[in-house]
Amino acid sequence: MQYGFSFDLSRCSGCMACVVACMDENDIPGDRSSFRQVIKLEQGAYPLAKLAFVTLACFQCSDAPCANVCPKGAISREEESSIVRVDEALCIGCRACAMVCPYGAPRFFPGEKMKKCDFCHDRVAQGMEPACVRTCTTRALGFGTLEELSRKQGEKASIRIFKGLESTGP
Amino acid sequence: MAGNQALRTDKSPRSKLPIEGSGIEIRHTICAICNPFSHCVIDAYVKDGIVIKVEGNKSHPHNGGTLCSKGAASREYLYNKDRIRTPLRRKGERGSDEFEPISWEEALDVIGDRLNSIRADSGPEAVAFYVGYTKWMRPFVKRLAHSFGTPNYCTESSTCYTATKVAAQLNFGYFGPPDIKNAGCLLVWSSNPFYSNPSTVRKLLDARERGLKIIEVGPLVTPLSAHADVHLRLRPGSSGALAHGIANIIIEEGLFDREFVENWTLGFEEYRSYVRQFSPEKTEKITGVPADSIRRAARLYANTKPAALMVSASPTVHHTNGLQNHRALTALVGLTGNFDRKGGNYVVPPGWLYVPNGLVPRQTQYEQSRAWSDMAPRMAGERFPVWSRFVDEAQAMHLPFQIRSQEPYPIKAVIGFGMNYRMWPGSDFMYQSLKQLDFFVNIDLFRTDTCKLADIVLPACTSFERSELKFYQEGSVIWTTPVIEPLWESRPDTDVIFELAKRIAADDELMQKGYEANVDWILEPTGLTVEEMRKHPAGYNVDGIKMPPYEKYKKSGFPTPSGKMELASTILRDAGLDALPTYKEPMLSPVSNQALAADFPLILTTGSRLPMYIHSRTFRLPMTRGLHPDPTLDINPKDAQERGISTGDRVSLATPRTSIKVKANVTEVVPPGVINIFHGYDNPEVNTLFEPDYLDPISGFPGFKSLICQVEKVD
Repeated sequence: MQYGFSFDLSRCSGCMACVVACMDENDIPGDRSSFRQVIKLEQGAYPLAKLAFVTLACFQCSDAPCANVCPKGAISREEESSIVRVDEALCIGCRACAMVCPYGAPRFFPGEKMKKCDFCHDRVAQGMEPACVRTCTTRALGFGTLEELSRKQGEKASIRIFKGLESTGP
Repeated sequence: MAGNQALRTDKSPRSKLPIEGSGIEIRHTICAICNPFSHCVIDAYVKDGIVIKVEGNKSHPHNGGTLCSKGAASREYLYNKDRIRTPLRRKGERGSDEFEPISWEEALDVIGDRLNSIRADSGPEAVAFYVGYTKWMRPFVKRLAHSFGTPNYCTESSTCYTATKVAAQLNFGYFGPPDIKNAGCLLVWSSNPFYSNPSTVRKLLDARERGLKIIEVGPLVTPLSAHADVHLRLRPGSSGALAHGIANIIIEEGLFDREFVENWTLGFEEYRSYVRQFSPEKTEKITGVPADSIRRAARLYANTKPAALMVSASPTVHHTNGLQNHRALTALVGLTGNFDRKGGNYVVPPGWLYVPNGLVPRQTQYEQSRAWSDMAPRMAGERFPVWSRFVDEAQAMHLPFQIRSQEPYPIKAVIGFGMNYRMWPGSDFMYQSLKQLDFFVNIDLFRTDTCKLADIVLPACTSFERSELKFYQEGSVIWTTPVIEPLWESRPDTDVIFELAKRIAADDELMQKGYEANVDWILEPTGLTVEEMRKHPAGYNVDGIKMPPYEKYKKSGFPTPSGKMELASTILRDAGLDALPTYKEPMLSPVSNQALAADFPLILTTGSRLPMYIHSRTFRLPMTRGLHPDPTLDINPKDAQERGISTGDRVSLATPRTSIKVKANVTEVVPPGVINIFHGYDNPEVNTLFEPDYLDPISGFPGFKSLICQVEKVD
C-alpha cells in the first residue's frame, strides 16, 4: 500500500497546528524543530496583497537522496508502504542526509541519531491518520493511499499530492 | 516536576498507540485556552496518571478531530514549570515576588477574615471581584460578589465583546451570529476566524467551496483575503464611515428592504439624510478604500439573498469611536432585511457562558443574587451609563481611576481570578494602582507579574484537572470529568469560590450546597442534570432542542424602547448622546489631530491575533513560543523603505505617551501608513503606549486599534 500526503493549497491558513501536533506526537521539545514546517508566502503589493501557506515534511522520495548518500545504509524506503525509514542502530549521525535533502527534512537533535517524519507509520498501521492530518483545522492536509489521493486530486484542482524526487529508472 | 518528565522520559512515539496492553487510556476533556466559541473537545492519552498526548475528539461535531496550535500544545500548558504549586502569602514588598507557602485552610481563612473586616469598615462595595480569562467560573464569581454585597463584579469583557453587544442592542434589542450554512453572501467585518475561531473554519471553507460570496473588511491581509470576492482595506478606526458609505449606496440605488424599513425601523429618514453625505468618493477619502470597491461590496451584499454579517469581539469597538461605528455597520443587517432571517443573522437566546444553542438555563437569574437597587452604585455607572445599562457588570477600565480617586467610595480590595494588569491601556498606571490596594488576591495557573503584586496567591488548575459545563452551538453539551487529579496543590477555581462562599456569603443558601448543586439549579429549565451529563464523558447531542422561529419581531416587536429597529436610538438620545450612529474620527488620528500627527504620522493598531497566541496565555509554552519567539512590529515595505528599515532591525515605536523598542517585520500584511503589533508580551509592554483614559466615551473600551505613532530605526 503506497501512502502519501495531499495538500490543498487553497485551504491552508498557516495556523501551525500541524507543526505542534507533530511535536506533541513525537515528544519534540519546543526549542527544537518539528518534523513539519509551515512556510508563509506573501504575494502582490497593496492593495492586492494575498497570503498563501505551504506545509512541508519529509516527502518520502521514491529516489531518496538521503538514502543514496547514507554511508551506513541506515536509510531505506519500505517498498510496501513507501515510507523512508531510518534504522537508528546503523545511523552514525554524520548528517550527510541533511546536506543532500532538498526539503530540509532530517532533524538532528544534539547527540542523537537522525529523525524525521515517518508518516506516523505506527498510527497508520492501526488505521489512524498521522497526527498532523488529524489536527489540521482547515482540512488542507490529507493522507491516504496514492490511489485515494489521485481520486481526490481529480475532483479539486487546488489539491496537490506531495511527491518527492522520483526515480526515472524502471 | 511530573510534567516535564512526562514530555521527555518516553521518547518513542511507539508508546502512544492506545492499543490493548499499552496501558494508555483515552479520557475526554475540553481545551479552555481560547474563547468560549472555540473550546475543542480533546482526547487525552493518559498513562500511569500522566497525559502523554492530546488530539481532537473526532466524533464531536464542533472540532471534528482538529486542534489548533494552542490546543495541540496543551501538555505544556498543563505541566508548565511556571504553574503555581501551593497557596502563597506575600513576605516582601508588593511586586518583589517574595512569598511563603501556606495551607489552603489558612489562605481561605485569611481572605475571608480580611474581606469581612473590609465589609464591616468600608461597606461591601469596597471589594471588587474581577475575572479575566478563561470565563468558565464567571457566573459563580458574580453570584459570590453579589451575595457578599458588592456591585463591583467586573471582567475582561470590559474590553471585549460587550461593546458590540451594546451597539447591537441599541439598534435591535438583541442580535445573532451569522447563519453561514444558509447564507449566500458573508460580510466579514474585521474578523480573522482562521486564528480567532480555528475550530469553525473548515465549515466556512466548505461553504465557500459551495459558492458562498465573501466580502472582507479590515486593514490587514488575513488567510481569509485569498477567499474574498472583495477586500475593503480601510484605515483603522474608519469603520463607521465605510458602513455609512455602503448604506448610502444601498439606499440611493434602491437596494434596501423597503418592507422592513417602512414597518420595522425608527429614524430612517433622519439616517438617510445623514448617510447621504458619505458619497463613495468622500468615503474613499476618509477610509482609503477605492470608491469602486465600496460600490461593488455594497451591491454584492445587498443583492445576494440571504446575506450574513460576521463580526469579531473587539476589532471594531477597540476605537474611541467604536460603539457608534459598530452600530453603523450592524445597521446594514436591518437595512438589507437580513435580520433574524434564515441565512442572515439569526437570533438565538443566550445559552450558557456566551454560547447560544437553543437551550436556555437560568444563568442571569443565578448570577444576580441581589438586586442592583440593594447595593451601592456600581463602579463607573455614571461614567459609562449606557454600557452599564446593558451589561450587568462594573466597567473594569475605571478600576485604576477609582482606586486612586477613592470617589465616590474607595476600592480597598480586589479578588482577581486570572487578572492580568497588562490588559489595561496605560498598563503601568494599572500596575501602580494595584500597589495602592489594602488587600489583593490573585488566583491563577501561572506565577504571573500580576500575582507578584498580590497578598495571597492561589493555585488554580486547568480544564484537564476539573469538571465544567460547556455548551456547543452545534446543539451538544458536555460536563467534563477530570482526566487527571489537580497537580501539586492546585484546585479548580470553583473550589475557591464555594469555599469563600462559606466564609463571606453564609446567607446564600444555594451557594452553601456546593458547585454541582448550583449547576443543577442553573440547568433546571433545560432538563439537564450533572448526573445525566456525567454519563457522557465526551459530551452528547441533546435531542429535541426547540430552536426559536425566524423573524420573531413580527410577532413581538423588537426589544427596544420603540419596539422597532432603532436607526436613531431612543436610549442614546435620552442620554444626551448622538441618536444616529454618527461617525467621528478616533480621538487621536491623522485627521483629528493634525498638529500632533506631524510627529506621529503612522497609525498603530494592536492586538490582532497570531495563530499560536491568545492574549498572554501561550507565551510561556515552548512549542508555541518557538513559532514566534520575539515580539515584532509589522510595517509596510513603503514605510520601511522611507525609514531605512529591514526585517529584523530594532526599531523604536513611539506614541505621544511613550515609546518601546521592538524588532521590525517588513510585510504587505499591513497597508502603507499602518503599524500592527501583537499585544500581551511582558517585554515590551505594548499597552503602555496608550493613555489610561484613551477610551470610547460610551462603552469605556480602549482605543487599542487606532492611535497615532511613529517608527524609527535604532542602532
